[in-house]
Amino acid sequence: MGSSISTIAGTSCLICNTLNTVEAIYCRECSAPMGIVYDTIAQQRDPHIVSVVGESNVGKTVYLGFLLDMLSQCAGNFEAIPKGAYSIDLQQNVISHMANRRFPPKTPMEPNQWHWAYYQVRKRTRNAKWIDLIMPDMAGDSLAAEMAAPDTFNAIRNLLYKSSGTLMLIDAALAANGSARPDFFAMKVLSYIDSIGGGKRDERIKTPTAFVLCKSDYCPECFDDPRQFAKANLNRLWNLCESRFENIEFFACSAVGALAYATAGEDGGDCVRPIPLHTALQGILEPFEWVIRQI
Amino acid sequence: MSLKLLLRKRNVEKKENREQTARRGKPFEPAEPLKLDTDQLHQYVQLERYGLIAANPKHWEGHPDIRSVYRTAMERIDQTFAVVPEGFVSLPQTVHDYPGCPEQDIETQPFLLACCAVTNAQFQKFVDTGGYGDLNLWAKDIWPHLIDFKDQTGAAGPRFWRNGRHDKNLADHPVTGICYYEAAAYARWAGFRLPDEAEWQMAASWRIRSSAHVLRRYPWGDALDTDRCNIWPSGVGGTVPVDSYPLGGAPNGALQLIGNVWEWTASDFMPVDENGKPIVGDMLMKSIRGGAFDTYFACQATSYFRTGLPCLVRAHNVGFRCALDVRQSRQQ
Repeated sequence: MGSSISTIAGTSCLICNTLNTVEAIYCRECSAPMGIVYDTIAQQRDPHIVSVVGESNVGKTVYLGFLLDMLSQCAGNFEAIPKGAYSIDLQQNVISHMANRRFPPKTPMEPNQWHWAYYQVRKRTRNAKWIDLIMPDMAGDSLAAEMAAPDTFNAIRNLLYKSSGTLMLIDAALAANGSARPDFFAMKVLSYIDSIGGGKRDERIKTPTAFVLCKSDYCPECFDDPRQFAKANLNRLWNLCESRFENIEFFACSAVGALAYATAGEDGGDCVRPIPLHTALQGILEPFEWVIRQI
Repeated sequence: MSLKLLLRKRNVEKKENREQTARRGKPFEPAEPLKLDTDQLHQYVQLERYGLIAANPKHWEGHPDIRSVYRTAMERIDQTFAVVPEGFVSLPQTVHDYPGCPEQDIETQPFLLACCAVTNAQFQKFVDTGGYGDLNLWAKDIWPHLIDFKDQTGAAGPRFWRNGRHDKNLADHPVTGICYYEAAAYARWAGFRLPDEAEWQMAASWRIRSSAHVLRRYPWGDALDTDRCNIWPSGVGGTVPVDSYPLGGAPNGALQLIGNVWEWTASDFMPVDENGKPIVGDMLMKSIRGGAFDTYFACQATSYFRTGLPCLVRAHNVGFRCALDVRQSRQQ
């Protein structure tokens, strides 16, 4: 859980606790936007951080954009209220691109250019309490760089350290094709989380972690039994989870109903460009709802 | 293994089973097998293969009941199919539809379109009579793939069935988990065909040749109404019986052209990009139309939104409906 303090000397960053001047727009240490810090102070509640992590191009932005959009339309068992206009940027970016059969642009590496979302979420039942959530759209390349050389991106280190829950996106289509890359990347992330937590060897990590098998429309067996799919296709990850992580669950999801490829860029240059022909959302809310129930 | 570990393992297994049951929703109830009439002509009526009877009544000459059976078949076609008048449609050729994009204008002839999508119960009849084993119903190039058209238990049938049977609770829901070839084989077996893309669009947009040249965005008019169709914003979250949403019908009574499930058509889907270069998929794509219960964007569930799906994909949100030539239905 993150918390920040505002004094005459300045405001401490929600993510890395560095003291920043009142004029600061971004944290001088981790580059997190200070606007989100001021908003959480105004709410007088400590927000929970839910991290969405995964390899570059796995679909984190699309997943998070649809998730926030669905929540703001009161889909599923939860309702959500965005706090601050910047919180809507991500879902607007994803929705406007996907509705026009375009994937949103790649998330920049610098944390001050990510989309940060601050939402208040609660279960749609009487007397349910509101939970404040901070969900940044991290760049997969930044995560990879941070794991390769720790302290390259302070924001990532601090976000993962303070996360109350994690949604780890894994490319199921790639895993089903026999590639070990998703397996290794997920293992790296878990090892990294394990190391920054400083847990002892016999102490299992309790942070709820939902493994979201993305692009599952390519391998429908994922939806039949995501656990079985993970056991069979992500065996290294499965074993690591068994030994080190206590609170995990596997989910399948897909956002694109059919994918086609243009053989030229929009400027006419040579490149292969994926085109999401239509959307068919499956399994977007379930991992999030599971994580929130565990918090 | 120690008793403590054994108990822990059992508890984990129990928890897994509970979670799996909860995930799958209601328990699967296999549909009862159909008791078929011994007489082949009566069997055709029982199996709803009206198209075959309508197309070739002379084949049954000499059968004592042919006149009454033929009349029954024609009545059933009258009741379950709707006439789509001649008209014209414009199909945008580019994958990104924009004002002024190249379009193909197509004149459509009058035809009959099934009022509803084919249900699980109807498709069960095709499965029960060995449709998957009858090679005459399948295009020759698909024969090597027939062994892949299995259900959850490895029996021949749609992807979400078990032991060749559909879930009784979903008998009147559209059949899903079938690829284009399975849809086409059923239509051929029943004596019908799949509509092509232009015909489908004509039925949904109702663009009759007139001075007004009116094109409907939805079969019921131009404004989206989530009480008239089952798409994601309707908040249903799954398929519904094929005769639901009577207010969402086209003027001729065809229901659920928008929403519930996408529908396979007989046309290839081969759009081009802004530079005229082809858009390619993993395999040959067939056009699907109308949107489904999980179509998030209302703009993708209209009478004119074009999209496609690889022809062998057996998706959870794609079904089909049959069509029939007017000429065929009038044969005596």
